[in-house]
Amino acid sequence: MKHVVVVGSGASGVHFAQSALERGWRVTLVDVGRTAPAPVLPDASFARLRHEHDDPAGYFLGRSFEGALFPGNKGEYYGFPPHKGYIFAPLEKLAVRSRGFDPLLSFARGGLGEAWTGGSFPFTAGEMVDFPFEHGEFAPYYGKVAERIGISGAVDDLAPYLPGHAHLAPGLRLDEHSEALLASYERSKTRLNRDLKCFVGRSRSAVRGDDRGERKGCTYLGRCLWSCPREALYTPSITLRELQRHERFTYVPDHFATRVEADGANRVRRLHAEHVATGAKRAFDSERIVFAAGTLASSKLFLDSLRAHGGVAPTLSGLMDNRQVLVPFVNLAMLRKRVELDSYQYHQLALGLARSDARHYVHGLITTLKSALIHPIVQSVPFDLRSALWVFRNAHAALGLVNVNFHDERRGECSLALEVAADGSSKLLVHYEPSRDEPARMKAALGDVKRALRMLGCVAPPGMTHVRPMGASVHYAGALPMRRESAPLTTSPAGESRDLAGLFFVDGSTFPFLPAKNLTFSLMANAARIADAAF
Amino acid sequence: MAEPLERECEVFGRYLCGAPPGDYVRAQYLAAHAAGAVEPAGGATRFERTVVALARSGPVAARALDAHARVFANGSLLRRKLVLMLALLEVRAPHAEAIDTPTGSSTLAMFAALVWLGLRFAFTVFVTALALLPVRLYCALGAGNEGRIGGAE
Ligand SMILES: Cc1cc2nc3c(=O)[nH]c(=O)nc-3n(C[C@H](O)[C@H](O)[C@H](O)COP(=O)(O)OP(=O)(O)OC[C@H]3O[C@@H](n4cnc5c(N)ncnc54)[C@H](O)[C@@H]3O)c2cc1C
Ligand code: SF4
Repeated sequence: MKHVVVVGSGASGVHFAQSALERGWRVTLVDVGRTAPAPVLPDASFARLRHEHDDPAGYFLGRSFEGALFPGNKGEYYGFPPHKGYIFAPLEKLAVRSRGFDPLLSFARGGLGEAWTGGSFPFTAGEMVDFPFEHGEFAPYYGKVAERIGISGAVDDLAPYLPGHAHLAPGLRLDEHSEALLASYERSKTRLNRDLKCFVGRSRSAVRGDDRGERKGCTYLGRCLWSCPREALYTPSITLRELQRHERFTYVPDHFATRVEADGANRVRRLHAEHVATGAKRAFDSERIVFAAGTLASSKLFLDSLRAHGGVAPTLSGLMDNRQVLVPFVNLAMLRKRVELDSYQYHQLALGLARSDARHYVHGLITTLKSALIHPIVQSVPFDLRSALWVFRNAHAALGLVNVNFHDERRGECSLALEVAADGSSKLLVHYEPSRDEPARMKAALGDVKRALRMLGCVAPPGMTHVRPMGASVHYAGALPMRRESAPLTTSPAGESRDLAGLFFVDGSTFPFLPAKNLTFSLMANAARIADAAF
Repeated sequence: MAEPLERECEVFGRYLCGAPPGDYVRAQYLAAHAAGAVEPAGGATRFERTVVALARSGPVAARALDAHARVFANGSLLRRKLVLMLALLEVRAPHAEAIDTPTGSSTLAMFAALVWLGLRFAFTVFVTALALLPVRLYCALGAGNEGRIGGAE
């Protein structure tokens, strides 16, 4: 029987594995695979948790209070829930040194997607001109993935920038603030569309409104950031659990893949791995090996494999990530209203700025503030805390944030390489430099976003816009681009390495261009496409 | 050691939410200090500790010194302690509900109150900056004391 070995259980890995199983393959998935703690009080809303949890400080702030954000934090507006710390816990075996880039890796079951905010935005044909296949060939996979995971949203004014696809379910109930913003957009859209080429509509989110299988529809508990206890918000570990019931699927957790071994004809034959705790070595024989460890970890695996095979590891250029800028705003019409804690917590609206080159479209996620830990925000108000709290209580329902995303393209100066120590161990070196035109592009787009906010009746308080460091968006891509023409350090349109035959990449490594949109929906679609194209 | 901390917790709770914080919040406040979560990186200066000791004397002093710290030493020990107190209050009923509730005035009254808060804040910062000058001087002169002092309360 045809057998494929996959590394990584993130969004890319599990959707590749699901398609490979559907095509009759036997799949072995090797993964570090750290596990999540069990959900607490699964029926309680965010507001009820603060009543019913017997140790709410332990839950929200952590046993070492690591979830409390003190003045001088990196300018983020929320802290990460302590019980989700396992998602980002580092692994000594994968050491990284970086310049100009804050890398984030996950060794969790489900990978980074266990922490994502569910934004699922399909690429347009214009954004995919650098990809070595037609958009029409790719688009059906959005429908396929949407059927698997459940995507809600609407085909509205954003449709030219967020194409519709099969199995797009209606959007969730809007919170009052998002509804007010959308109504305001309807009133001023002629000017917004004409003067700023700015369009606003429903966001697209990987969240189910209805029950399906073990997953229950969203009941607006407002706990999305703390992990949805109903699994209405999709995470890749849900698919992994489903795959584990398949008779042709074998899951090998607690194993760290170290390299592939290839024969004299440069064909892969075997994957080498080590037990995370004991270091015990294990090998997995197969002529088809698939890397889905995330762009950084997959690149390191590839470089270590080339080093073991040919003695040297080259430099991979073209690392990409979306620059993100957070623009907080106050909607004057919402001041003094009571905040709706029982709402879907993440972005319910999106904003697009059209550009003459479709690849340069600017994408914004609009999140209105509902349930949240508020101390990071209150401390940033320029008053004593008691006065700041008074201001916040009256402004809570009026606060929101636009997370503005910018495209990125492959550039030689952004690279991944290995640093090899005397004992033979290696570190991944990440080097990133923003493009020279970035400041001008950002200034123009942020000016437009702030003007658009004003037209919607909102103000962006001066001095509070926060440019996130590169790496923070965690939309990594581009180290081994898919190309039609064969060249070293590229892959075929089906994601197969041109250096080691039989080795496939199904994560962001192979994207030849990175549109401004969060890429995970496209990662899943691409992984499913590669399974159909080559397996 | 725990006594001044307990008093501090009481005062800071009253300052932020107008009521005693309760047993659970008090226990957590002490636990956070025991876990070393509050100390600024590199330890607090003698001046920072003196400001905390003064703030402990009551909610009015806490508010005035908080205003001063917001402008001149946002990451200082006092601000960190107050932010911790806010974080504890916001995760625990019934304080959490109060924090989520608007104060209910009209928009006009709200903006008027905002102007009043702003003026009072500016005045408080000015007065505390003057009043703390001798304290600053005293701390700076005392045996190399402006240096950071790590460790427990
Ligand atoms: C807070 C946050 C919010 C986000 N929000 C969004 C969003 O709204 N929309 C969006 O599109 N994207 C979002 N993202 C990004 C998104 O989560 C990632 O793009 C996506 O999850 C990447 O999936 P992946 O499968 O390619 O890799 P990963 O998720 O990194 O998965 C890697 C997997 O490989 C395993 N692994 C790694 N190395 C090895 C090894 N050597 N051996 C064995 N196993 C290994 C890990 O255990 C893990 O299972 C967000 C990310 C974060 C952190
Ligand atoms: S609001 Fe969030 S946490 Fe609550 S059910 Fe919906 S998706 Fe889950």
